[in-house]
Amino acid sequence: MSGAAAAQRESGEFGRFAARFMEDRVALIGLAMLVVIVLAALLAPWIAPQNPYDLARVDIMDSRQPPGAKAGEGFVMWLGSDGVGRDLWSGILYGLRISLAVGVLSGVLAATIGMALGLLAAYAGGRTETLIMRVVDLQLSMPSVLLALILVALLGKGVDKIIVALVAVQWAYYARTVRGSALVERRKEYVEAALSLGLSHARTVFRHILPNCLAPVIVIATVQTAHAISLEATLSFLGVGLPQTEPSLGVLISNGFQYMLSGKYWISFFPGVALLLTIVAINLVGDRLRDVLNPRLER
Amino acid sequence: MTHAIIRSLKSAAAAMVLAGAICGAPALAQDLKIAMSAEPSSVDPHYHNLTPNNQLAKHVFESLTEHDELQRIKPALAESWKVIDDLTWEFKLRANVRFHDGSPFTADDVIFSFNRVPNVPKSPAPKTSYTRGKTIEKIDDLTIRIRTPAPEALMLKHLAQIDIMSAKAAASVTTEDINAGKGAVGTGPYKFVEFVPGDRYVVARNDAYWGEKEPWAKVSYRFIKSDPTRVAAVLAGDVDVIETVPTADAQRLAKEPKLALASALSNRVIYLHLDRLRAESPFIKGKDGATIKNPLNDLKVRQALSKAINRPAIVDRIMEGEAVPASQLVPDSYAGTSKNLKPVAYDVDGAKRLLAEAGLPNGFQLTIHGPNGRYTNDTKLIEAVAQMFTRIGVDTKVETLPPSVFFSRASSGGPDKTPEFSMILAGWSAGTGEPGDSLKALLGSFDPKAGSGSANRGRYSNAEVDKLLAQGLSTVDDDKRADLLARATEIAINDVGIIPIHYQKNTWAAKKGLKVIPRTDEYTFAMSVRTQ
Repeated sequence: MSGAAAAQRESGEFGRFAARFMEDRVALIGLAMLVVIVLAALLAPWIAPQNPYDLARVDIMDSRQPPGAKAGEGFVMWLGSDGVGRDLWSGILYGLRISLAVGVLSGVLAATIGMALGLLAAYAGGRTETLIMRVVDLQLSMPSVLLALILVALLGKGVDKIIVALVAVQWAYYARTVRGSALVERRKEYVEAALSLGLSHARTVFRHILPNCLAPVIVIATVQTAHAISLEATLSFLGVGLPQTEPSLGVLISNGFQYMLSGKYWISFFPGVALLLTIVAINLVGDRLRDVLNPRLER
Repeated sequence: MTHAIIRSLKSAAAAMVLAGAICGAPALAQDLKIAMSAEPSSVDPHYHNLTPNNQLAKHVFESLTEHDELQRIKPALAESWKVIDDLTWEFKLRANVRFHDGSPFTADDVIFSFNRVPNVPKSPAPKTSYTRGKTIEKIDDLTIRIRTPAPEALMLKHLAQIDIMSAKAAASVTTEDINAGKGAVGTGPYKFVEFVPGDRYVVARNDAYWGEKEPWAKVSYRFIKSDPTRVAAVLAGDVDVIETVPTADAQRLAKEPKLALASALSNRVIYLHLDRLRAESPFIKGKDGATIKNPLNDLKVRQALSKAINRPAIVDRIMEGEAVPASQLVPDSYAGTSKNLKPVAYDVDGAKRLLAEAGLPNGFQLTIHGPNGRYTNDTKLIEAVAQMFTRIGVDTKVETLPPSVFFSRASSGGPDKTPEFSMILAGWSAGTGEPGDSLKALLGSFDPKAGSGSANRGRYSNAEVDKLLAQGLSTVDDDKRADLLARATEIAINDVGIIPIHYQKNTWAAKKGLKVIPRTDEYTFAMSVRTQ
């Protein structure tokens, strides 16, 4: 088979997949929102009027201004400012960067670790499987917020530590999912065929079994990314997440919490809306992916 | 006919119920509900020297002397006193005072209480600094003499910190017993009813009180740490009085017709402590990230940092007016403070000039550490200070930690139990209502044996300050002592041993019709709440 033909077949498959995805209007809106949100986060340094992490540019004289007020530096703060004078629109754009980066990075790491352990469990069986799966059970029986809270309290503040904590609470979901599908795949004829051809175990696992287990992992990954983002926001809201001077969405919401009763709603409200939209967008896309990738729903 | 009678009887009954409800209102008003912002660790008055503990203890227990709302000393269980010589004080105890269990109050109870203070097991912060060195001699049932090895100028202030327990009722009780109500027997205006840790503390009026009887038959305290919840509780009428009104809500609540606000300047100063211990400080780097000589050892740099802080802006924008710019350790309305010191004026150009003169025209990098949630708006404050330092070229990072972690690391987290950080934000409340104690704790040379520098987390040390302070603290004459302490303060503050930022204001909110007499020591007493 020539390379071009393979590419054509692949693009044909992707095309069919994309077409099926697009059939759902709501999912399409979710995808569009997600694209806009990711672009806004990536382009934050160019579209935000203020670098909210640069203390020389943030001025407490601008603090607690309502939406539409003018900052000391001249730009208009369309969403108002928070308690230390940070422009909320800029704060949200930069906060999205951190929230998305934390969500995606922890998702990728957790997926890698989880998949590797899940495959190992399914393929090796016996004691290895028992050991890995009991750890997974143990892990899943603990509430994730509690576990993350303990880990972050032990590790300290910072983006890297949050990611470690989030990976620690997420990998088990991937491991269990992958083991489930790998157990089914392992008994199929093509695996036997591959082994009887003399392929190594590693090649059999990674080139033959793994690709056939990916569909459920992709679905779990979208759901878990949204979960990771909200978990990070929760930890930051509780004051154990990210540092004050480099706020994520959770820190911004937490900063505004004390003003809720005093009528300065915007400090918590707008970051809250941004968080909500991000998670809804990811979940809409994830839902549709599940429908499209589920072979049982195949027409 | 009978119907008419029944109907009229019914309406009469209804009227009576209604009248009863109206008459019942004043009776209900005898109950007072107060929400506290912090939780006590115990109701044993000698267990833990902590503001909420001390505050609750003062309802049930009394000491020989007491502070009034401006922290001036007034007689309490001691009716009068005289200084026999510099080392001996004689106290006449109040006659006809009875404990809640009916037993009379005598000199034996005083001796018992002073002996109990250093012997409370597992005390996290004992009150031993107030009893240390004092030997009590009973002259007769209502006369005692207290001797000290050196002149003790703060004798009356110290006595106000030691609550007197009944020698009979508290003879062998533990802290746990007292929390459960056993041995919680004092002479105070209220009697212990119930303590539920984490939830509430209830006291009832002591009808046999020697002083003026309290208007409240029952007072219940609830512990509501969350600011918005506490505000909501008073707005909804669940509680009658709340303490520590959050600054974010003070302006709005002042306009609320259902509530009346009261506030007082507190004796708590919020300040920055600077690392003076090390030649190279761990959280200070050059602009290029290289290790540099600790710039905080240079007076010009310290002055520059103080000038970089826009105190009025902090008071206005961060504290929303609920603070006053600080010039020294305690507000200058107190005796012993310097009237010459004024809050350092905001002067960016002057600060930059001083930095240049110190050989650091481009500034340096610094991390400020502080607690999150110990002082009003502490996190935002540190951020604001960091903004201001960054403007004069000192690139400042902020790291806030949970208070318990912060204080232990700031005091002894470094090598050999030294303070860990380069610069910290902290607060200090002058519990004695004069600057001597604060000076000794914050700016006296670090010497645990002498009890000096116990909170000197910058390890500032100045022989002249130490000398004036030692003289002041052993001068019994009030005017002479005030003069010595003021001079010590001036030297230490002009040398920028700490950078004072502001004094907090304490604000209470009460239901309309109630009046809270604001206290400078942050205590919320039922004895300070009156109907208008």
